[in-house]
Amino acid sequence: MSRLCLVFACVLMLSAFSLVTARYQSRLLFVSSERMAAKTQELDVEWRRLQLERAELARNARVDQIARQELKMVVPTPAQTVYMKNGQIVSGPAAVMQGGEQ
Amino acid sequence: MKRFRFHDSPVLNVQMPLWRSRLVLVLMLLGFLAIVAKALYLQGLSNDFLQQQGERRYEKTLVLPATRGKIFDRTGQVVLASSVPARAIWTVPEDAQKATPEQLGELARLLEMPLEDIRARLANLSRNFVYIKRQVSVDTAQKIAKLKIPGIHQQAEVRRFYPEGGMTAHIVGFTNIEDRGIEGVELAFDHLLSGEPGTRRVIRDRLGRVVEDVQAAIPPVHGKDLYLSIDAGVQYDLFSALESARVKNKAAAAAGVVIDVKTGEILALANLPTYDPNESANRQGKALRNRAMVDTFEPGSIMKPFTVALALDLGRVRPDTKFDTGNGKYRYQGAVISDVSRNGVVDVGGILRRSSNIGMTMISERLTSQEMWTKFTELGFGRAPNANFPGVAEGRLRPWERWRPIERATMAYGYGLSASLLQVAHAYTAFARDGDMVSLTLVRRQGKPTSVQVFSPQIAATVRAMLDEAAGRHGTELAQVQAYRVAGKSGTARKLVNGKYSTKQYRSSFVGFAPVSDPRIVVAISIDEPHGGVYYGGRVAAPVFSEVVASSLRRLGVQPDAPLEPVLAAGPDDGVPR
Repeated sequence: MSRLCLVFACVLMLSAFSLVTARYQSRLLFVSSERMAAKTQELDVEWRRLQLERAELARNARVDQIARQELKMVVPTPAQTVYMKNGQIVSGPAAVMQGGEQ
Repeated sequence: MKRFRFHDSPVLNVQMPLWRSRLVLVLMLLGFLAIVAKALYLQGLSNDFLQQQGERRYEKTLVLPATRGKIFDRTGQVVLASSVPARAIWTVPEDAQKATPEQLGELARLLEMPLEDIRARLANLSRNFVYIKRQVSVDTAQKIAKLKIPGIHQQAEVRRFYPEGGMTAHIVGFTNIEDRGIEGVELAFDHLLSGEPGTRRVIRDRLGRVVEDVQAAIPPVHGKDLYLSIDAGVQYDLFSALESARVKNKAAAAAGVVIDVKTGEILALANLPTYDPNESANRQGKALRNRAMVDTFEPGSIMKPFTVALALDLGRVRPDTKFDTGNGKYRYQGAVISDVSRNGVVDVGGILRRSSNIGMTMISERLTSQEMWTKFTELGFGRAPNANFPGVAEGRLRPWERWRPIERATMAYGYGLSASLLQVAHAYTAFARDGDMVSLTLVRRQGKPTSVQVFSPQIAATVRAMLDEAAGRHGTELAQVQAYRVAGKSGTARKLVNGKYSTKQYRSSFVGFAPVSDPRIVVAISIDEPHGGVYYGGRVAAPVFSEVVASSLRRLGVQPDAPLEPVLAAGPDDGVPR
């Protein structure tokens, strides 16, 4: 009887320790999951910032200015454009049209 | 001196009265009783309050902020509005008195504020929360935090950014400092864009770390992203065309709209003058006006096609009916109606091409006021267009019973009623389609648009041909576009100044669509008070129309429907219609 008591006492002690450890572990894990969530949010914010930066760089006004002034580009006229529909040339400069018909 | 052992001390031999020990006993008992009573009170009777107090020490409710949705253009590639975190710098003035002058100087430099301004805020000792500056960028805020100035604190905020700035300012609008929409799409779709903040109840440990959720967290509902019908490319083309035209013509203001005829989506809508929505100081005054939607004006000649279509629809005139407009002066109902030039005998198409007011008066004689009012109302005049936008103007179209006889004639050529540019552009979709007006939207359309039949398809085609001619070689030449057939009508309306029609202030406009063989876009341009010498719509607004149509069709990849020969350079001539 007294031996059984001792065994139970030991088991009880063990379970008490494991409870404390488990609880501690769960708190540690929770803290790290919190940190991950914060990181997610941080990355989302960063993504927003980058998206804005890209928008700033790709602004039409800026692209237009660089294309015209720095790269000396011009807008193509319809006479220089070949229009295609389903792989077929439907309209374009005379030379292309003649070439297409041959 | 005689010495005693302790127990023999005569002092101890004195007998005390018994009540004294009793008194001590009773007092001690009373003391215990008081402790028991207090314990009972704390443990049993008022424990709710105490438990609450305890929880307040280690439990905390965190607010999970919801992010406001982004606004994109139709492609989803261009961000028109997005929120980024920012910080508010605030202070407890009493604590901040310990700050050294160097620290304050550094703070002023980082915040780009005058030092006196900050000092004035810190002088307010009676208050314990004073903002120094709001909407400070996170980078700056981190530098400020490193200074460790006593009494200076930070608070998380969001800041709304508009990368396209003034170009889309009138459509997108802006939010106030509390992140609520107060203009434009930001206001119209505020409920969609702004989310619902969530909450969670947590236990914090000694270091302030969150260690446990007390109950299930209510997650925040983030705002939805919004895709507008605006195409950033077309918008830029429209905006820059208007801007250069405004400078060239020394105009007070300018506005333009591009509508997709097939879907009713507003591809571009620009107004000048404009403002930078990123600078809250700029967000005031006349520049805020969304002229294309909110301002109404007497449309003038651009109304003529509607009267003509009505007369054709009712069979009162035929396309080949001839009218003798005489020498450009016509007495009617006690007033003199005049044309810019002598037009002689012309048919209905000729009236539109030459933009003859006399011809329109003659057509209106064959119509009743009621018929005109009914058709104009069907076309959306005098009613706010359903374009889900705040503050769209209704315009003014008085009931036909109150029209004077002369007004039936003036209404026929666009005076006596008022409309916004958007309304006129909307009504023109009837000609660009098969006589049905498509419903407008500022948001990318999903599914098929609804439309209202206003004219029969044959009549729409007839008027379309007339407008094609009106914008052709013998009409408004400057509206022509290389490789595309365009149709449209110019207008030059005198502005009402102090109740009289001014002879100095005009509004030049041009409304049309292209390509004529299968219209894709309606473009409406209005230039307000041009002071560059010319003011006729055909000279001022038509070139802008041409430029916008050319670039829009190129961007949309529309196939040319006219021969590719270069268009002759159109020179000014006397026959420019008004």
